[in-house]
Amino acid sequence: MTARPSPPGVYGIDLGIALDQRRVLVADHSAFNRRTLARFLNWAGIRDIEFAATGSETLAKVESFNPDLLLLDVVLPEIDGIEVLKRIRQDRLHADIPVLVQTTLVSDALRTLCYQAGATDILAKPVNPGECIARVRYHLERLALIQELRQFRERIEKELKTARDMQLSLAPERASLDALAQRHNVSIDVFFESSEEIGGDFWSVFEIDSEHIGIVAADFSGHGITAAINTFRLHTLIGRLAPGELRDPGATLTICARRLYELLPLGQFATAFYGVLHSPSGELTYATAGAPSPLLFRQGTPEMIDASGLFLGVTDDEVYPNEKLVLEPGNHLFLYSDALVETRDDDGQMLGEDGLGEMATRAIDVAPLHPLGALLTSFSARFQGKVDDDQTAIWIRRN
Amino acid sequence: MEYKINSTPEATEILLSGRMTFSDHEKFRNVIATFDGQKGHQMVFDLSGLDFVDSSGLGMLIIARDIAQKKSLTFCLRGARDDVQRVMKVAKFNKMFTIID
Repeated sequence: MTARPSPPGVYGIDLGIALDQRRVLVADHSAFNRRTLARFLNWAGIRDIEFAATGSETLAKVESFNPDLLLLDVVLPEIDGIEVLKRIRQDRLHADIPVLVQTTLVSDALRTLCYQAGATDILAKPVNPGECIARVRYHLERLALIQELRQFRERIEKELKTARDMQLSLAPERASLDALAQRHNVSIDVFFESSEEIGGDFWSVFEIDSEHIGIVAADFSGHGITAAINTFRLHTLIGRLAPGELRDPGATLTICARRLYELLPLGQFATAFYGVLHSPSGELTYATAGAPSPLLFRQGTPEMIDASGLFLGVTDDEVYPNEKLVLEPGNHLFLYSDALVETRDDDGQMLGEDGLGEMATRAIDVAPLHPLGALLTSFSARFQGKVDDDQTAIWIRRN
Repeated sequence: MEYKINSTPEATEILLSGRMTFSDHEKFRNVIATFDGQKGHQMVFDLSGLDFVDSSGLGMLIIARDIAQKKSLTFCLRGARDDVQRVMKVAKFNKMFTIID
């Protein structure tokens, strides 16, 4: 909105932003009143004015003229002003239009009736020019601000939706994931949800060669747009690595940590788990950077895998070591982001790693082949609507 | 998160308490803005009153450490307990910070 010089106002009032592009409809059965109001509006800098003398004409003009503001007399022939107002408010297209009701009715009860019918404001008759101009300007300026905000919001929503689709497409598609899982004789179930449209969690499961799959789960500090941009950075970094590097989790994290240290602003970083499963033997080689402890289910009780390590992006001289474990057929590995252990329930209690371990154990009892769904059901039962961080959960079972 | 600052000629003690999360960014900037002193002046973050710290909170500590280094102040973390201590262990903060239990 650009400020334009306004014509000198009545009583020397500063007229503020220009209103010459604004359309105002004056509904009044008296020709004299219509002329008087039009003159006031002209003084307010408004040029585009149309008139209606009856209720039905008012409704028709609202449709055809599409005014930015309506000055409405309560007393109108055919359909009275209150009824006109109610109909406008029910009409989805024009429900938001500011309507200034002019009335001689000064009792509080009758004014309340006007407001209940949807009046934006009330002008007492006889209408004075100073008050009329001030009120009309106020409501038109308010409308302009709302429209500007709405446009801004719509644009951001559209862009965030596109960004969200882009972020979702960083991860493998369900069908290719299923095919990969089948080739390597594992089951893979994944849950991924950002607390806002886009977020700072990143996950991927990909085939390095016919015997190795890579499993990565990373969580950038913060959430929202900044964190999401960083997930794209990490995706690009990993995508550039050669298979030889990708087969070596420690080397992969060491390289990513260095690059992210150069790329990220101070105070931003990622926690990460990167594992490479040799699918014929079940040997899992992995390296970690301060990630939540993955849960390993070999016998009855869950084992917490130590996933400590300096975050990616906080230093450029850390070398990440490789660790190893073996997944036998029937063993499960469960990776998750901190939202699953740090979200607080109604009593302010966090689930914690032990709590999540117990929940996961019960889920395996319920659905031994694909426990993730059962786990998420019990998680939601306690934490629905409480999660304010990005959530990722990856469940892998060696078949 | 709440904070309290105790200053002596040799050291500035900053006592943090409550939950240190994403939403404390602004407040923490105010804390960092008070960093000042002669070369070698001690900045001590006392975390004994802190119940919880999330990844953004850890990021703020990393920023604080960097600011202290730039101003040639010494910097240490003290008294982390329970969950905060666990998180700092997972993040191997002992490799980046001087930590006093």
